[in-house]
Parts: sequence; C-alpha cells; structure tokens
Amino acid sequence: MTHDDEILGRAYDSRLMRRLGVFIAPYWRPIVLTLLLMTLSALIELAPPFLVKQAIDGPIASKDVNGLIPIFAWYVMALLGSFALRYVQTSIIQSTSQHIMVDIRMRLFEHIQQMSLAFFDRNPVGRLITRITNDVNTLNEFMTQGTVALLGDVVRFVFVVITMFALNWRLALIVALIFPVLIVTTAVFQRVMRRIFREVRRALAQVNAFLNEQITGVLVTQLFNREQQSRARFDVLSNAYQDAQFRSLIAYAVFFPVVGFLSAVSMALLLNLGGLVVLDGLATIGLLIAFLQYADQAFQPIRQIAERYNTLQSAMASSERIFGILDTPADVQDAPQTIPLAQPVRGEIEFRDVVFGYNPSEPVLRGVSFRIPAGQSVAVVGATGAGKSSLVSLMARFYDIQQGSITLDGIDIKQIAQTELRRHIGAVPQDPTCFSGTIASNIRMHDLTISDEQVQRAAAIANAAPFIERLPGGYDYDVRERGANLSVGQRQLLAFARAIAFNPEVLLILDEATSSVDTATEALMQAALVQLLHGRTSIVIAHRLSTIRHVDRILVLHQGRLVEDGSHEELLAQRGRYYRLYQQQFAEQATPSPPSAV
Amino acid sequence: MGLVRALSPFVQRYWGHVLIGIICAICSTAATAAIPQILGAAVDELNVRGVIFDDLLRYAGLLLAAAVCDGVMRYGLRRSIGGASYLIETDMREAMFRRLLTLDQAFYSENHTGDLMARVTNDLSAVRTFLGPGMFSLIGAVLLIVASAALMLARNALLATLVLLLLPATAVLFVVIGGRMRAIYRTVQDQFGEISTRAQENFSGIRTIKAYAQEAAEVREFRAANERYRTSNVRYVLLSGLLWPLISVVLGAVGAMVLLVGGRFVAEGTMTVGDLVLFNIYLAQLGWPMIALGWTVDLYQQASASMVRISELLQRRPTVADPPESLPAPPIAGAIEFRDVGIRFQRSLAHATAGTVAVHDDRDWVLRHVSFSVPQGTSLAIVGATGIGKTTLVNLLARVRDPDEGQVLVDGRDVRVLPLANLRRAIGYVPQDTFLFSVPLKENVTFGKPDAEIDAIERALRISRLSNDLIQFPNGIETLIGERGVTLSGGQKQRTAIARAVLRDPAILVLDDALSSVDAHTAAEILAELRNVMRGRTSLIIAQRIATVKDADQVIVLHAGGIAEQGTHRDLLRSNGLYAAMYRRELIQSELEGEVGVQH
Repeated sequence: MTHDDEILGRAYDSRLMRRLGVFIAPYWRPIVLTLLLMTLSALIELAPPFLVKQAIDGPIASKDVNGLIPIFAWYVMALLGSFALRYVQTSIIQSTSQHIMVDIRMRLFEHIQQMSLAFFDRNPVGRLITRITNDVNTLNEFMTQGTVALLGDVVRFVFVVITMFALNWRLALIVALIFPVLIVTTAVFQRVMRRIFREVRRALAQVNAFLNEQITGVLVTQLFNREQQSRARFDVLSNAYQDAQFRSLIAYAVFFPVVGFLSAVSMALLLNLGGLVVLDGLATIGLLIAFLQYADQAFQPIRQIAERYNTLQSAMASSERIFGILDTPADVQDAPQTIPLAQPVRGEIEFRDVVFGYNPSEPVLRGVSFRIPAGQSVAVVGATGAGKSSLVSLMARFYDIQQGSITLDGIDIKQIAQTELRRHIGAVPQDPTCFSGTIASNIRMHDLTISDEQVQRAAAIANAAPFIERLPGGYDYDVRERGANLSVGQRQLLAFARAIAFNPEVLLILDEATSSVDTATEALMQAALVQLLHGRTSIVIAHRLSTIRHVDRILVLHQGRLVEDGSHEELLAQRGRYYRLYQQQFAEQATPSPPSAV
Repeated sequence: MGLVRALSPFVQRYWGHVLIGIICAICSTAATAAIPQILGAAVDELNVRGVIFDDLLRYAGLLLAAAVCDGVMRYGLRRSIGGASYLIETDMREAMFRRLLTLDQAFYSENHTGDLMARVTNDLSAVRTFLGPGMFSLIGAVLLIVASAALMLARNALLATLVLLLLPATAVLFVVIGGRMRAIYRTVQDQFGEISTRAQENFSGIRTIKAYAQEAAEVREFRAANERYRTSNVRYVLLSGLLWPLISVVLGAVGAMVLLVGGRFVAEGTMTVGDLVLFNIYLAQLGWPMIALGWTVDLYQQASASMVRISELLQRRPTVADPPESLPAPPIAGAIEFRDVGIRFQRSLAHATAGTVAVHDDRDWVLRHVSFSVPQGTSLAIVGATGIGKTTLVNLLARVRDPDEGQVLVDGRDVRVLPLANLRRAIGYVPQDTFLFSVPLKENVTFGKPDAEIDAIERALRISRLSNDLIQFPNGIETLIGERGVTLSGGQKQRTAIARAVLRDPAILVLDDALSSVDAHTAAEILAELRNVMRGRTSLIIAQRIATVKDADQVIVLHAGGIAEQGTHRDLLRSNGLYAAMYRRELIQSELEGEVGVQH
C-alpha cells in the first residue's frame, strides 16, 4: 500500500534458514495446512477469466441469455471460495507466526538473562532492546511475507503460466514474451532500491541519533549558546536524509510507470499478434479476452516476488544478529554438578590468589588472598581503580576470575549454583536500581514468600519507613520506570531495605556515589548500614569515614594487590598506605580545613 | 479542515509543484481512460468486421502511445507531488528542531524525550505520507473515477450506473475496517511498548536482578507480557486479514454483475462484445483508485492527528525568551542580586504523578522571599537538604526558568531585560547531572568556545584535573565520547563539565554539586585551582560538604522554603544554627574516631 516505504532487497542464507527452521519446525502442521489452502486458492483464482471466456464464446455469442446464469453462479462461487480460503489461510499463518515470535523472543530473553555482567558491559541496553523488539518483528514479517507469501506467489505464477499454455500455447507465448523484460526490470529496480534504502536508513538513523541527543542535552546547548551550530548540523543531516528519500522517490517514479507500460505492451502484443491468431481461427475472441486477464494475473506475482526479497534480506540480517546473541555462550555458567551449601550457611569467605581483569590482558586484581571468618565485617579501601568494586562483583560471581579461587564456607563458588549463591550473598549496587511497580514490589522483588510484614520491617530497619509512609499510597506508591520519581537517597534506602528483606548471610555493599545526598539523609543511611552489617559477613567498599568506623577490619588494595590488612587503629599505627589514604580521603570529611597535608 | 489550515504555510511555497502535479495527473488520466476505449474498439472490429492486419497495428500503436503518455505523466505526478512532500517534510522538520532549541525546561519537564522524538519522526512521516503518496493517489483516483464514469455512462448508462453504485463499497470497507484496525492497533502498540519497557528495565537493572537471583521470575513476567501482546496481535491480524480478501470479493462481485447484465445486453444485441471488454477493463482500472479513496481517508485521519501534535510543538512559545527590545548590552561584570525571589512548584510530570496529596496551598512555594547579593568577584555557597530547591534557585541566574516572584539582577539589571545570549555567554555552568555529547572529548570541552586556543584548552584540562586521564584514552583529547566511543566515569564526566565551563572564561561560574562524583582528594585540588581561576570573578557554589563551601565569601543555608542562615563560615558557626549543626555532624564522625585534631 505504501509503495514509497517498501524496501527491496535480496538475500538468502541457507545456514540461517536452517537455524530459523528449528523455531518453525514445531508448527509444521499449520504451515503445511496453509500451503495446501494457498495452492487451492491459487487454483480457484484461475477460474474467473476462464468463465468470462465461456460466457463470451458460449451464451453471449449464441445470444442465449439464460445460459449466462450458471456461469454467473460458478463465478460467484469461485469468488467466495477464494475469499474463504484466503482468509482462513492468512489467519492460520498469522497466528502461527505470532506463536513463533513469542518463542524466539522468549528464547532470546532467557538467554540474555543467563549472560554475565561482562556481556552487559559489552552490549549497550539500546542494542539489546533492538534485538528483542525490532529484529524479532522483522522475523515476523519474514514468516508471513517472506516465506509463505513468497511460495504463494511462485505457486500462483506457475499455475497461471501452465493454464495459459494449456488453453492456447500461441497466445501464451505472446504473453510470455514480456516476462523476461519484466523480470529484468524488477531485478534491476530491486538492486537499485536496496542501495538507496540503505542510504535512507543510514541518513534517518543519523537524524534520529542527533535529535535524541540534542533533546536530552538541550539545556547544555542553550546555556553554552550553541543553538546556531546545532541548527546548522541538523540542517546538514536533515538535507542528507531528504536527498536519500528523493532518490528513492525517483526510483519508484520510474519503476511503476515502466511496469505499467510493460503491461500495456503485453496488451498491445496480445491484441496485435493475438488478433492474428483469432483471425486465423486458432483462438476465440473470448479466449483472447481471458488472456488479457491472465496476463495481469501473471504480472502481479512477479512484481510482488521482487518486494518479498527485501523482507528476506532484512530477515537474514535480523536473524544473523539474533543468532549472534544466542551463540554467545554464558561465560559464567553453573557447573554440571553443583554442590549444595551446608545449611545453615555460615558465610565464611576466602579469596585465594585471585587474578582478574575485565579484559584478561589487563588484570585489575593481581593475586589477592584473604579470609573473612563468618560474621566479620570488612571494609575495602584504596584509590580509584585499585580493584575494590571488582572484589564485590567477583564474590557475587557476576564475573569469573582468571586464576585462583573464591570460596564460600569452603566451597568454590564456581561449584555452587548461581541462584543459590546469590540467595546467600546480597549485593547492594553502587547505583541503587528501582523498577516500575510499587514500593513493596521494589523491596521484595518477585519473591512472594516475603510477607507484607517482612517488607515493612525491612523498610523500618533500613530507615526507609518514614519517607515511604509519607508517600501517597505508602507501600503501594506507584514507582515509575527506574525509580524516576524517587530521589537518589530514597532509592538508596530502598536498596538497603531490599537487602534486609532478603536477609542474606553475606552482604556486599558498594558505598559510593552517595555524596549528592544531604547530611540528614546520609545520617539515616549510615544508621541503616550499621543495622545491615550487624552480625553478618560483609564486605563494604567504603568511601566514608563513618562506615569504616563500624567495620571489624580493613583491607587496603593498591594496584590490584592487597597491601595492608588490619583494624583501623592497627593500620593507622603502621603509618603506611592506609594512613596516607586516610589522610587524603577521609580526614577531609572530618576536618573542615583545607587538605594542606597533600 | 484543521489539517489543511495547519499545513498551508508549509505547502504554500510549493504551489508550483502541486500545479505541475495536477497537470500531469490530468494527462495521465486521459491516457489511462483511453486504453479501454482502444481495446474495446479493437475487439469489436475483431469480432464484427473481421479485421485487417493494418487496423490491428494501428490499435496497437495507439495503445502504446497512450501507455507511454500515461507512464511519463505518472512519473511527473509522483516526481512533483512526492518531491514536494519531501521538501515540505524537511522544512517542517527543521522548523520543529528550531523550535525545540528555543523551548525552556518548563516545556521539557512536561514532555518525554521519546514523545518529542515521535513528533519529529513518526508524526512528521504520517503527514508526509498523506502529502505525498496520499495526495498523488487521491488526485489520480478522483480524476480517473470521474473520467471513467463519464465514459462508461456515455457507453451504457444502465451498466455504468450499476458499476458506479457497487464499486464505492470497496472504499467504505476500507474506511470501516481500517478504522477498527487502527483502534485495535493502538492496543497492540501499547502492549508492544510494555514488552520493550520491561526489557529495558530488566537490562538496565540486571545487576540488581542477578544479585537477588530474580531471573526466573523476570522471565515469567516477560512471558506474560508477550502472551498479552500475542493475543491482541492475533485479534488485529484476524481483522486485517479480512480486509484485502473482502475487497477483492467486492471487486469480483462487481465483475460478475457486469458479466451477467452486460452479457445479457450483448446477447440481446443492445451492446457489443467490445463494450463488455471495455467495461471489464474500466472495472480492473478502477479497483485501485476506489481503494485509494478509502486509503486517503485513513491517511487524512492519521495525518490530522499527527499534525495536531506537530502544531502543538510549533506553536509553543518559550516562557523564557529574549526581551522584546533588548537594551544595548555592555559586557557583564558579574555582580549578582536576588531580590525577594519566590519560586512555585512546577506542575511537571514528576509532580503530577507524585500525587495530588502533596499539593497543599502552603506548599505551593518551593522557595520564597529569598534575597541575597553577591558582589562582583566574590563567591556564595548554598547548602541545604536534598530537594530544598538549591538547583532551582541557581537556575534562575541563567534563566533556565524565571522566578514567579521577585527579581534576579546581574550588574543591577533584571536578567529578563538582558539579551539571553549575552547573559548566558557570561556564565560558566556546571550542572548537577553532567551531559556530554557523543563527539570527541575536545569538542565537549570547547563546547562553549569552539574557537579556543590549544593553550587555553590545556589550561582548562589542567584545572579540572582531566589532563592526567588523557593517557587512558585511546586518542587522547580526540577520543570519541559516548556509546560508540569511550564511556567516562562519573568523576571524569564531571571534570569534563568543569573544563567546559572554565574554558569559557566566564564572568560568573556556577557549580551545582559539581564535585559529587570526584574523589575528595581530587576535588580539593580542583577547588584550589578554581579559586585561582575565579579570582576577580563571581561564583555560586552548591555543595553538600563543608570542605567545599567553607572558603566561600558567604554561605546561605536553605531550609523550610527560604533562607534560614546567611553569613561567612565563621559567622554561621558562631550563630550556632543549622549550619553549625551540619558542621558538627561531620565533626562528630571524626571525634568518634578520636584520631584527628580539629583545627578550628
């Protein structure tokens, strides 16, 4: 319908097709049924032109008015039959295709859920969303338009050609004369369009990316008086897009009239050469008229087949990307035979010669060993980039280490099922995440075994209850996407409440990025933190003096190595790296004087 | 006809295109309408007279001539009308973008980015589709229907009337089913939106989801959303699958009627076989134009809805704008005064959803009766709890918004009478949320001063302590920032923003919690550097930590909707109020340690 927006292209990749076949195979029954119905309807659609011929050569020529009635009846039946078949067939294939899409999308989503954080570091959220939405949708078009409809077009074309030759080979040859020209024209056009549409898409993507960034950062543009430059840049992108669109317009403006002309040529040929055939008595006038219609029926599939190739092409590209994700092995995987933790879990942690780097050639931790007895709270300090947050991520097994071992209660965490490990190890991330839903659903997540009372108790312990109770609706307050209608401090308190509600034996806390919280809120968070640490094995990445005050022991990391280990007093007495770090990072929080020592 | 009125300013420029298009359409219609006449006559001669080969050649020649004319004219029609539609689209897109650049934060807090994007992309494309394919289909269809109707009526009035009565059923079907389809489609789209939102939340919150081992539950919820989407989508496809087969049934039925009634006429001898062929071909030619009528109705409705959204944007005027007549603008020296300033809560989206409960009369004001003055070359620090309105207050200076009460003066003149560009050029602003563009680091730093010398850039990088980070980046200062380039840490982003502001060499520097992600040590270094830079310039500093604010010439404490305390660090400590309490809270922490001597 929207000729100008249709993209033409051609692509076929048997390897990808086979892999897509895996998703399609369970639905072979409805698909075979669709193909049968399609063949049937293609057959029935051959009848009307033939009936016209019968009418003209029969009753009309012999002036038998009543003879028209049965032909009319057949004609109407053919119409209704083809309507019913087409509708049933479309319905079946569309619903089947919807099922297949859900299958593919779920498979993709489940696979992504198993990926480690390294995967999410590599793949921006936007890209993953595109895979799950647009690329899967493209496959849907491929199913409905690309495969089944394409087959339908081929079948239709073959039937018309066979019928024409069966009825009168001379006339059929005349019609067939034009096929090669039509096929070449469509093929050329489709090749041109593929290139043009790639340009259009690229130009549009650039316009959109620029626009999105400009809208998000409009305040900066305005404050820094950059409107003029932004306008100029946008005009350049916008004009490039327009130029690309214009090329597609010209291509269509040429193609459609040419196709129209070709069909007129075939009519002229039929009239001219076919007329001779009729004059020679080798065909009837009715048959000539029927052939005018058959010629049209044969042209349509050729035009559409060209358009279907585009769908095939983008489907191949999409499935390539989808399989690209499905083929990414989960780098953090459960061991074939996991070892259950002995109950109750005590929470004893040991790092033994742990070597780790997000990029294995650039280790962040270079052989770190320590043991934390059950119930002890430990603060990890060090300069930025010393590997502190990596420690936390490794303990929760968000990433796998390259060398050494990490054990929980003496069992290597690689031997423990991830879900079990994380049930006992709570990690409060640096950037407190909230989800759309209610306050309660943000605390208990999907775990319905956590009762309302437990939710409220957790909120109370985390000092979150006062602000929650002030919100309209309290625990049922509608939290918007990513907690947009909560402040950073509120989100942090909720994250604490969540950790308390899940009551893990081992707690990992990234205590950073809270400096944009005012002192009153911070005091609340401090108190909550103390509650959290109480009686639990915990590793805190500390950025605040007061946090350090509450832990039993301090580990100092420097350039990926553990350089000091002891209590606050011991380490200060050593006058080593901790002492200096303390002077730099924490003393300032305590003393309002300028850091003259540095 | 709101659409027409809204579009006319944009279409006016291209009347020439439209005129050429209409001429082409008329010629093409004439050619198209001639083809059945030629064929009909040929068939008659074939049937009745027993033709001479020369006649057949003549007919074929005429047919081809008509087809060539038709093709050329169709090309002209598409080219002129379609071409104009793209030109109009570009004009509108640029107009919208210009408008977006002038609109203020009040507007942006009401409208989501995604929604604004949709207006510039989807809505615009709906309007363009109506103007291009919609219009040339409509023009072609109307002309062809009128011409064919006249010619058919001239040939056989009774049969023509039958055809003309039955054919419009296709257009009606299209409008009726199309309307239903659109209604269902909206649901489908919403549910699709839900799928993508869920995926988005899941992927962005994956750390938390994994930390609490919620993957299985997430998969369950995602499946449920997918099933809902599938169900409504099946409803949609069942309906849309009905449309085209139904239309071809109607077309076929008309064909059958022509065969029956026309065949009877031919048999009775009141009509020739050629006429029957002629009717058949007109019928085939009229199928698409009839559908096109329905289609353009549909396009018109979509374009109208979209144009409303586009006009909303185009007609929106910024509340913060240049004064009507700008005074001659001397360079800004940087003395700041806030005179009895009051700020109301904005009815933004965030507040609207935060519930109506929060909107009490006495809580209408964020801040009220705020007065202070910052002499040229001095500094003012602002402290106060989260959400008290510190950012909103300093935002008045650069006119991110205007106060609801009172005045903000720079060099003794109300900021609202200063040319906006001059005012903003005088301010170096480091916002709370750092926004960097996905361009090379250098371009981000020189954002407010594109012609900056390399020495100046290096100095700005040194002051913001960004120079040391440069070696970490693959291409140094030319490294591309953002999703396709290097992702900066929070601290690096903030320091880039500081460099960006410093490079402007502004009369006034505004730091809105600008060091929150920078570690304390580096922050102290930057502050020390800034103090040098800011000698002789005015600065406003928002901060949470005493260390950042204590050296300011004056400090104000915001509390309970106004200024609670005002003075120097020492004054405020002496007056033993909120500021002193805040100071003590930080102090207590160190006293508990018993390690660090207090130096005041």
